[in-house]
Amino acid sequence: MSDEPRDALSRRTFLKVAGAAGLLASCSPPAGPQKLLPYLVPPEEIIPGVPLLYRTVCRECPAGCGVTARTREGRVVKLEGNPDDPIGRGALCARGQAALQGLYAPDRFKGPMRRGADGALASVSWDDATAALAAALGPAIAKPSAAGVRMLTRPEPGATGALQREFMAKLGATPRQRVVLDPFDLAPLRAAGAIVFDRPELPVFDLSRARTVVSFGADFVETWLSPVELARDFAGGRGRIGEERTRLVWIGPRLCLTGVSADEWLSVRSGGELWVALALLRWLCDPANYVPGLAAEAGSLSRLLTGLDLGAAAIESGVAPTAIAKLAGELARRRPSAVLGPGVLSTGRHATELAVAIQLINWVLGNVGSTVLYGLDPVADPPSPVPAVDALLDDMSAGRVEVLLVHHADPAGALPLALKAAEAIGRVPLVVSFSDRPDATTQLARLILPDTHPLESFDAISARRGVVALSQPVMTPVADNRSACQVLIDVAAKLPAPAGPLPYDDAYAHFQQRSATLFPGVSGDQLAEAQRVAQQRGGVFGEVKVERVSLRTPDPTLLVPPVARQRDAAALDLVVFPTALRNDPSGEGVPWLREVPDVLSSVSWSPWAELAPATAARLGISDGDLVALTTQAGAVELSVCTYPGLHEGAVAVPMGGREPLVLLAAAADSRSGALAWQSGRATLTRTGRRAELPRFQGTPNQQGRTIVRTVSAAAPAVPKPAEPGKMVPLPTFPEHRWAMAIDMDRCTGCQACVVACYAENNVPVMGPEAMIRGRNMGWLRIEPFMEEKNGTTRVDLLPMMCQQCGNAPCEPVCPVYATYTNEEGLNAQVYNRCVGTRYCSNNCPYKVRVFNWAEPSFPEPLNMQLNPDVTVRSKGVMEKCTFCVQRIRAAENTARDERRPVRDGEVVPACAQTCPARAIVFGDADDPRSAVSALQRDGRGYNVLGELNTLPAITYLARVRDEDR
Amino acid sequence: MSAVLAPAQRVQATVLATQGRPRGGHLLLIALAGIAAALGAWAEIVQIQQGLKVSGLNRPVGWAVYITDFVFWVGIAHSGTLISAVLFLLRARFRTAIYRVAEAMTVFGVMTAGLFPVVHLGRPWFAYWLFPYPNQRHLWVNFRSPLMWDVFAVSTYFIVSAIFLVVGIVPDAAALRDASAGWRRRFYGVFAAGWRGTDEEWRHYARAYLYFAAFATPLVFSVHSVVSWDFAVSILPGWHSTIFPPYFVAGAIFSGIAMVVTLLVPLRKVLHLEELITPWHLDMTSRMILLTSLIVTYSYAIEAVMALRAGPGPELSIAAYRATGPFAPLYWTMVACNCVFPLFLIASKVRRSPAALLGICILVNVGMWLERFIIIVTSLSHDRIPYDWWGIYRPTMVEAGITLGSFGWFFFWFLIFVKLLPAVSISEMKEEVLHEVGHAA
Repeated sequence: MSDEPRDALSRRTFLKVAGAAGLLASCSPPAGPQKLLPYLVPPEEIIPGVPLLYRTVCRECPAGCGVTARTREGRVVKLEGNPDDPIGRGALCARGQAALQGLYAPDRFKGPMRRGADGALASVSWDDATAALAAALGPAIAKPSAAGVRMLTRPEPGATGALQREFMAKLGATPRQRVVLDPFDLAPLRAAGAIVFDRPELPVFDLSRARTVVSFGADFVETWLSPVELARDFAGGRGRIGEERTRLVWIGPRLCLTGVSADEWLSVRSGGELWVALALLRWLCDPANYVPGLAAEAGSLSRLLTGLDLGAAAIESGVAPTAIAKLAGELARRRPSAVLGPGVLSTGRHATELAVAIQLINWVLGNVGSTVLYGLDPVADPPSPVPAVDALLDDMSAGRVEVLLVHHADPAGALPLALKAAEAIGRVPLVVSFSDRPDATTQLARLILPDTHPLESFDAISARRGVVALSQPVMTPVADNRSACQVLIDVAAKLPAPAGPLPYDDAYAHFQQRSATLFPGVSGDQLAEAQRVAQQRGGVFGEVKVERVSLRTPDPTLLVPPVARQRDAAALDLVVFPTALRNDPSGEGVPWLREVPDVLSSVSWSPWAELAPATAARLGISDGDLVALTTQAGAVELSVCTYPGLHEGAVAVPMGGREPLVLLAAAADSRSGALAWQSGRATLTRTGRRAELPRFQGTPNQQGRTIVRTVSAAAPAVPKPAEPGKMVPLPTFPEHRWAMAIDMDRCTGCQACVVACYAENNVPVMGPEAMIRGRNMGWLRIEPFMEEKNGTTRVDLLPMMCQQCGNAPCEPVCPVYATYTNEEGLNAQVYNRCVGTRYCSNNCPYKVRVFNWAEPSFPEPLNMQLNPDVTVRSKGVMEKCTFCVQRIRAAENTARDERRPVRDGEVVPACAQTCPARAIVFGDADDPRSAVSALQRDGRGYNVLGELNTLPAITYLARVRDEDR
Repeated sequence: MSAVLAPAQRVQATVLATQGRPRGGHLLLIALAGIAAALGAWAEIVQIQQGLKVSGLNRPVGWAVYITDFVFWVGIAHSGTLISAVLFLLRARFRTAIYRVAEAMTVFGVMTAGLFPVVHLGRPWFAYWLFPYPNQRHLWVNFRSPLMWDVFAVSTYFIVSAIFLVVGIVPDAAALRDASAGWRRRFYGVFAAGWRGTDEEWRHYARAYLYFAAFATPLVFSVHSVVSWDFAVSILPGWHSTIFPPYFVAGAIFSGIAMVVTLLVPLRKVLHLEELITPWHLDMTSRMILLTSLIVTYSYAIEAVMALRAGPGPELSIAAYRATGPFAPLYWTMVACNCVFPLFLIASKVRRSPAALLGICILVNVGMWLERFIIIVTSLSHDRIPYDWWGIYRPTMVEAGITLGSFGWFFFWFLIFVKLLPAVSISEMKEEVLHEVGHAA
């Protein structure tokens, strides 16, 4: 021991140091309550870190696409389509993706509320709330047929609707006292079915078989009828060159996204669609044109149409007779075709006439039974005709309604204000709302009984005959909400004698009883098993035979176009349009739907007024000027955004806010009673002020640079750039080279991918201020490039995200190696190494890197949506598209566990997964047999800015413009 | 003998008079500069707390005022070494009276410039990650990144110019030490490093000075070349240009000398140095401004010509955007300040008029700040994909505050310096006047 070196740590020093270290450690600041609470009895199916999937159904629109909800540790984090479901087939639209934020909306009611004498809402218990409703219903149902009770509901084509009807019957009310409200219902199309084919129902369109599609303002890639299904079927015929490519012709005053996908745009003035349709029908039926193979009724139709003044048609629609003849000729030649419409954009005072003309065109061309299918609409809970809604509003205004039960309908907020729904509701003594989020109607309600979200409830939705989608709770309710069905059962149990209870223990028993009817002849354990399997699959998906219909010769007055109205020359046609993101007012308060910019205007958050550039120039207005729009119904102030895809005689306002509802008159389609969205004229006055819109301010003119490319039959391949000289060896990726191909001939710009990316990758929402300052955080954006060519506006869309360059300009400039190309060809970003120089973004020619200008916030309970597989980034850090690296790793891990290579198509990034048009293909470019490799070799394939030798992993397939010859 | 030495003694007396307790006006200026620096510090704290959202930066404009300030101050720092080292090697006599101010300006300029790479970071608390230091995580820096080269170029430049300044001060500090008492005596004693003025010391000193001058000279060219590579190495149109290194060096000398004159003209008045810093000195300095102005003008012209030669495309587009886009007023102000106003210096009357010279030099400073701003911001807001041109950059109060703070920081040190150490080299000035006397005799 004695030869131990002197400077070795002595026992005394060691104890001193250890003591000091222990003292310091115990001084560490309190880090808040940090408790790990393990499950006492772990639920069998929940394995931490492993997603648990539930099948359910999307209720954001009546289309009824199936949903696979991905849950992690008991909370749902992502919605994807249900691949077994025949309607959505695994895809969801932007609104479907955003349904999650409805579930986690911070403004959701946390439990039942009652409005006190002071007008403020106060929480009550469910027992008190149901007792209060039962007590209020008591005297009302004592009267004959419970005359003072009304129910106003959204369409509920399933168990909920059935229970509502049963409840109303228990009260002694007639079926007419339950009114079904859907402001966007395609009533003219139903009416036309009744008139032309004696089928008062909506047809199903099968675009997969149509060679030419003509759309009269039916924006089927965004909102019309069943957008996911229609976009998918339509895209199936795209991505090829020549005769077999499906062609699309758009007829309307504004190029909506469907119009952007179209090969031809007939720019009609608002309301002129009917003239075009009739002229088209006349041309087709005219024996002088010798169209072969027309339906037998063509001759009689021709005689009915001889009186049509083609000159007037040209003047009223603004479409030249030659253009109509050309389109008719194409329809005659390319069969089967599909003629679609009317949509919101073409629903005016004569929408039923337009729908009739459209269905007659479909009939004479033989499309009915081939691409236009009747007999598939289950007619389960169809929206009430508008006169029934009007009658309800009248009854309310007249004080004949004592109790109004409102179920997910927002008459005060979703109908034109000219209908004075809010005033009418204000006269009802007791308004009970089942809405789970505040809206204009809940502000008038005395009792709020918040329903559970569709992701928290059971139901069996029938969107199509033979297809029943089963919805089920995918997690325990976020708040103390109770399913409206359960509330009705509870209330019924408390009603006095004549009404009496409903014969169900609870809502689940009712649902089970109803879903049992889906399996006729099955009972006992077999039934339970069948129900379980169906629930796991997401529904019962059967095939139903299409019914043959026959033509009823229509009333000739239907084929007479309206007498031309005198137009006030100073005014402009008011065009209101829904988009995939901006639709009904419920989108307000869903941050993703407001933050993601509109594709064509690039505006987010705020509404805007669109003008054609020529009109704006004539009026001396430029982008960002605040103008006052005035109609007979009201006036609003909006910022102007010029858009060359708008008719020069129109001003367009997007839906999804108060503004269009203020401007719209209480006009209706004269035959179906549908709201006439396109009936107004607006005068526009300059206010002299400016209001900057939250938008990307770049130019949609590509200035002759070949960023988006097109091909045609004459030039079917994109010229390949000369191979640049190589001074250094190019990188190789021996194991995988993850790559993507994006078919711009299929992409419709519907933004489903953008919202899916926000959801999957915890992309923060920054609000309108940040948008004004150019600080959008989206990892993926759709860039529109517009040009005037051959006298018409055309728009090419370019989905832009990190190109995962093999030779990335962002990498060498980073001083701390926070970004590098990994061995699988991914351009990796190391968040916790990033110091935030932003040099990488400066040097990125695609400008796809996004910087965290501020600490992102996810107000509770939106934070419950965060994907635990993806880091939440902090302020000062750069981020960007990762090709959903978490999904790549998951697939690689699975493959390794199973001792096999990763299969082609096994890795699906969130954007590709949800793309209705299947425009995005992902895979391994190292594998020559993979789908993405094949597309890389396609003649249409090219790299954006490939001349910079960045070696991008994304191959764009050029859009086909077969009009370029 | 004493008659011969009289001019030298007058030099010493004049310079010694500048030292001593600062008076009210001077203290007020120091206080103002300190307040401005504090304001900048406060703005920086706000920025650290809230993130860079308080700046006007956006996507695509990831760099703007902070990097402009950085390049501006590095540029300012340039002329010091040029005047003290390069002109020393070239035996330019007019250098003697002005080099100390220029050197001090260099050191404080680099000290100011060095703040900005930290200020502009998204996570400035990790700024030390930019240095290659051994760590158990085996993280290393990326030597391919021009920002890394900046770290080395600027820190090397700071060390060398600080040494050069301190070495040059040694004989003066000794003179001051001998002439003062109390804490000043101890203070000067530190800088004098035991200097006694022996022949041997003088011989070593002259050798060392020559050595440092030779050592510092390449740095004059390397530092700003490296700074220009921050831009030239990128692939951004408007940045990616081979002319940048000489263009930036010329610009840096141009702005640096303009800043020297901006400091000298008031200084010779305030410190009563008119006798030492004469119109002749100003004249000679102005000639350098004129020369570098012409080089800068030539560079601008070359950029335009290259854009035209490149034909339609991003290069031409960016040139047109600068001249006609939303930043055009700034662009033409820059051209006026850097190319037009300095042409007045052709007239010797202007060159010898301190007031006119001061005006032109301030305009040059403004113009050179704008030049960096234009290069950085217009290029970033006009990249290859036109849809990405959504970022119209507007500076915010925080950025203005930090920029103001940088001026406060710079002048705070400079104003203290001129009261603590001689702003004109006593020893070299004496040598100069005695040399004159010798010629006269």
